[in-house]
Amino acid sequence: MEHHPATLSAQENRKVDGAASQANALAFDRVGMQFPDGTLALEDVTLHIKQGEFVSVVGPSGCGKSTLLKIASGLIPQTSGTVTVDRNNLGYTFQDATLLPWRKVLGNVELLMELRGYSPEERRRIAQEQINLVGLSGFENHYPKRLSGGMKMRASLARSLALNPSVFMFDEPFGALDEITRERLNDELIDLYMRKGFTGLFITHSIPEAVYMSSKVIVMSRRPGRILQVFDVPFAYPRAPELRYDADFSALCGEISISLRQAIEG
Amino acid sequence: MSELTSAQLYQPVPLPKPQGALVRGIIKVLPPLVVAALLLLLYAWIRSNLEPHRMFLMPSAYELWENAFSKPEVWADLGSRSLVTISIALAGLAISIPLGMIFGLIMYRYFILERGLLPNIVALQAIPMLAIIPLIQTALGFGFMPKMLIVAKMTFFAIPTTLLLGLKSVDRGALDLFKLQNAGWLTTLWKCALPSAAPSLFAGLRISASMAVVGAIVSELFFLAGKGGLGQMIINSKIDFKYEQMYAALIASTVLSVSVYLFFSWLGNYLFSEWHESGGKQG
Ligand SMILES: Nc1ncnc2c1ncn2[C@@H]1O[C@H](COP(=O)(O)OP(=O)(O)O)[C@@H](O)[C@H]1O
Ligand SMILES: [Mg+2]
Repeated sequence: MEHHPATLSAQENRKVDGAASQANALAFDRVGMQFPDGTLALEDVTLHIKQGEFVSVVGPSGCGKSTLLKIASGLIPQTSGTVTVDRNNLGYTFQDATLLPWRKVLGNVELLMELRGYSPEERRRIAQEQINLVGLSGFENHYPKRLSGGMKMRASLARSLALNPSVFMFDEPFGALDEITRERLNDELIDLYMRKGFTGLFITHSIPEAVYMSSKVIVMSRRPGRILQVFDVPFAYPRAPELRYDADFSALCGEISISLRQAIEG
Repeated sequence: MSELTSAQLYQPVPLPKPQGALVRGIIKVLPPLVVAALLLLLYAWIRSNLEPHRMFLMPSAYELWENAFSKPEVWADLGSRSLVTISIALAGLAISIPLGMIFGLIMYRYFILERGLLPNIVALQAIPMLAIIPLIQTALGFGFMPKMLIVAKMTFFAIPTTLLLGLKSVDRGALDLFKLQNAGWLTTLWKCALPSAAPSLFAGLRISASMAVVGAIVSELFFLAGKGGLGQMIINSKIDFKYEQMYAALIASTVLSVSVYLFFSWLGNYLFSEWHESGGKQG
């Protein structure tokens, strides 16, 4: 039974204790992105996310939200400005679960650890923990094709969680799911956020989802994407499902909705 | 009541009962049997219209039995010649499969080589087989090797092309996943691109495998020295005017060809049906 003192203590240190600490976990400074074909996707984006914060981004489709995450992760380099983040400790889930269809759930959850060179025993142990955590116990030996959309997304989350990321980015992870599954996964993700204490950057096109999940909601303009407005979300974690019917909650959603409409209309 | 006048009453429709094994069996074997029966009718009709001196072109079942399949020496001949033919076919595949895969891989790795190689692979495929056999004979003689090369040429094309297509269709998101962990090209190939391309490659292997026996037989038609395979038996029985034995050899080569095809189909299904979307079992 090997223990990983570094991993464990890092995790302990990051427990959310209500107030986020002051250091930035992820910072975009005057980031711009122009694709080789001339498309100007992002312009002058400055966004600082403090350790332990959970920030959502909403914006018209095609405004550069995915591009922002790709830049943060290093998948594509920005064409201007700077990004500050620890890329060794980054979680990233895509809109579709991108499970490898020839691997069973367990193998998929082990994948990133395998690429990082973890030992087989350690991989197995951590993967099993994450599978239990996302509620997929009993499905370890299922191939992805036999999982529902929600279960695939859970497996995808477990795969990222296995590396115990300190910054976790989500690109419309629940966009393809039905309302009920989506709301359940919202609660489960908040629960994971509370336990693991990562910093979250969450992209969605659902305003209630953005408000429900996050401590801050960013509204982006249409392309070229810029930050139009930042809304602080005052509700304390953990968030109860009833919050969705709260008058203040609806009011905030309304304000963001108006801002987003202005963003779309330009 | 008036809005109901145009309404119709729909009764529940019971789901069809699940079919028993017998019914399913019949559904499986009946259609091919019907087609086979039609072919037999066609055969009988043509035979009944042949002039008597050309009747040998279509031996009756009785003649086939009497002059070919009832004779142990014909069976022995078919057996040993099938072995020769199948070894030519497999030896050809043993060249074309690895070589084709290597070509597929380097075309995937280096775009510039794809531009250079692919048109030439297409051109190689476009050379009519029969047209270059004389050249091969002159250059390489009449042994095993030229026949093997003929099979290799005939079965090559499907392999690099299907592999390349499969490799290029790998999910971008999956590749990003590997890139995010700084995985090297070989790791990404081995753990992501190749498994993802494998079903496509196997579709190519199946095509190649079924061509291999055909190729082996065609190659033998031109190489009559020594004790050869089924192709040689076909030519010899023409020379010896033993058309029943020619039919026996034709039947044996068909069986061989279909067996190789079925083996690769089975292997592909065995390897991929559990996870591939096209696979048999559904969740
Ligand atoms: N590789 C690329 N080359 C050129 N244009 C691109 C590329 N990737 C994205 N874009 C364009 O950049 C804009 C932003 O894309 P994206 O970040 O995916 O938007 P979204 O906010 O919907 O996630 C879009 O207009 C898209 O067409
Ligand atoms: Mg997007």
